Amino acid sequence: MIETTGLRKEFRGRKGGPRVAVQNLDLAVPAGGVHGFLGPNGSGKTTTIRMLLGLARPTNGTMRLFGQPVPEHLPEVIGRVGAVVESPKFSPSFSGRLNLELLSDAIGAPRSRVDAAIETVNLTGREDDRYKGYSLGMKQRLAIAATLLKDPDLLILDEPTNGLDPAGIREIRETIRALGDSGVTVLLSSHILAEVQQVCTSATIIGNGRLLASGEVQDLLGSSNAHRVVTPDPARAAEVLTRAGLSPSLDAGVLRVETDDASSVTRTLAEAGIWLSELTPLRPDLETFFLQLTDADKLGA
Amino acid sequence: MLRLTKVELRRLLHRRAVLVLLAACVVIPTLIGIGVAYDTRPPSDEDRAAAQAQLDRDRTSGDTADSLRNCVRHPDDWGLPVNLTDQQVQQQCEEMTQPQLDWYLWTQPLDLEQQREEGSGIFVVLAVAMLMLVVGTTFAGHDWSSGSVSNQVLFEPRRGRIWAAKAVALAGVAGVVAAVVHSGYWLVLDALAGHRGERHGGALLMDCLQLGWRASVITALAAVMGFALTMFFRSTVATLGIVFGVALAGGMVLAIIGVTDAWNPALNLWAIVSNGVNYHAEVACPGANPGGEQCFEERTLTLARGAAYAGVVVLAVGITSLLSFRRRDVA
Repeated sequence: MIETTGLRKEFRGRKGGPRVAVQNLDLAVPAGGVHGFLGPNGSGKTTTIRMLLGLARPTNGTMRLFGQPVPEHLPEVIGRVGAVVESPKFSPSFSGRLNLELLSDAIGAPRSRVDAAIETVNLTGREDDRYKGYSLGMKQRLAIAATLLKDPDLLILDEPTNGLDPAGIREIRETIRALGDSGVTVLLSSHILAEVQQVCTSATIIGNGRLLASGEVQDLLGSSNAHRVVTPDPARAAEVLTRAGLSPSLDAGVLRVETDDASSVTRTLAEAGIWLSELTPLRPDLETFFLQLTDADKLGA
Repeated sequence: MLRLTKVELRRLLHRRAVLVLLAACVVIPTLIGIGVAYDTRPPSDEDRAAAQAQLDRDRTSGDTADSLRNCVRHPDDWGLPVNLTDQQVQQQCEEMTQPQLDWYLWTQPLDLEQQREEGSGIFVVLAVAMLMLVVGTTFAGHDWSSGSVSNQVLFEPRRGRIWAAKAVALAGVAGVVAAVVHSGYWLVLDALAGHRGERHGGALLMDCLQLGWRASVITALAAVMGFALTMFFRSTVATLGIVFGVALAGGMVLAIIGVTDAWNPALNLWAIVSNGVNYHAEVACPGANPGGEQCFEERTLTLARGAAYAGVVVLAVGITSLLSFRRRDVA
């Protein structure tokens, strides 16, 4: 669906020399599902998206959308791509509806699609208000409505939940998930790791304009059978568990035990007269993985 | 392309600033026309009575008699030829020093030719062209300042088409509005001249209308220039600064560096509007050595010359702007 090879973008720096925003990025987003595009601020996510959409010219490398080389063949595929890049950008003195109508007229889409898009993003009743009077959340929703005007096969969303209230964030996440389930491929750029973990099936992580990791979210995280064990007497509990062959580690009064059978921990401690305060499976999370990767990248850089 | 042009036309006509400027294109010529009508109004009976009373007062004042006596005594001081008879001196001195009724009736008749050549016609052309230049500038500037250009490119990645659609919509609106305003202006003045029994209609009216129509072409070009420069600079302020800088100082700078008036932008534009214009070129006097005495020679800048000059400038700016828009990143 999306492929880049050796993608590079240089800007002219303040002192005249080149500033590399994206370097040799090989990105592959398969068709279907929601693909997370993760990276710290300034890592090159938005620049990559802007190059894919023809808003910026790559310094080097090749890009393909739907198998077609872009930007050369962008006019042939852009009708299948809906995108929100950075903050929403509309004419502030026009109403939300007029802004959408101008875009839909430009591609010859029927007016009914404007009504449908407004309804989908819950802007009904406010669509004739001026855009400059919209809250940030409403602006974001209007931007998403604009992407739906094309009835896209690919949605590229750059920080789409920025500025939304919790209800709005949940709504947008559900919309994204539903779109992914309906067969639309979604590239979701975000630095909110929980968002990506909740919504995405696969992810690419970049840092300093370089690819750090890519794959299915579950594969990236790996599996873990670690558990957090809290008891009133952790030192004795550690002895008991060690005797039972469970190899616990003790840190700041909290035990960490790796086992596929959590019941063996409760049983062993109970038989020794030690009662558990807490037994929690330690699930791998994207935040930890992401920070490990980006910290390592910073050190490498 | 037609679809995009319609979209841009709609975008243009929904901008409040553009509508205000278009309204100003009607209001300002209307005010100028009202001023012309008022300044050239025939004197009323009250004006005549007041002028007659003033005339009578001045004729009986000692100053007038003193002036007449002084003129008769020293006719050469008053610029009269020395070979006049006493009777002729008396007659001419009376004409020069004795107040006439016309002196106190300040209005002059409505002369369409004078209005066209050196009167209000110039101001109307200038006002409408400048306003349309600002329309073109604000149209593009608003797109850049709001960032909506990037949205437009996401829906139509062929940037050349976007640029062209905007330019066509703008040129069309500017040209049509200017043509209507200029035609209306001259038709109303012509009707007024006819009502007052002054020379009007026929070839005179046609000359005035043709000036207005040529000015409409210039106005459309001005709008496109404003648009093209703003698409290049991506800033309304930068464009307006440069345009007004060139308008105010361009001719002076050319004169200082010794470039002939034939390359003066304003003169070339006026050559188009007024179907050719005369100017004075500094040339070596006949028989003078190179670098010697300089004389002035009257020359004509033709409409074709002015059109070629303006065409090349607009084309160069337009192509630069278009190529820049196609190549540069859009924020």
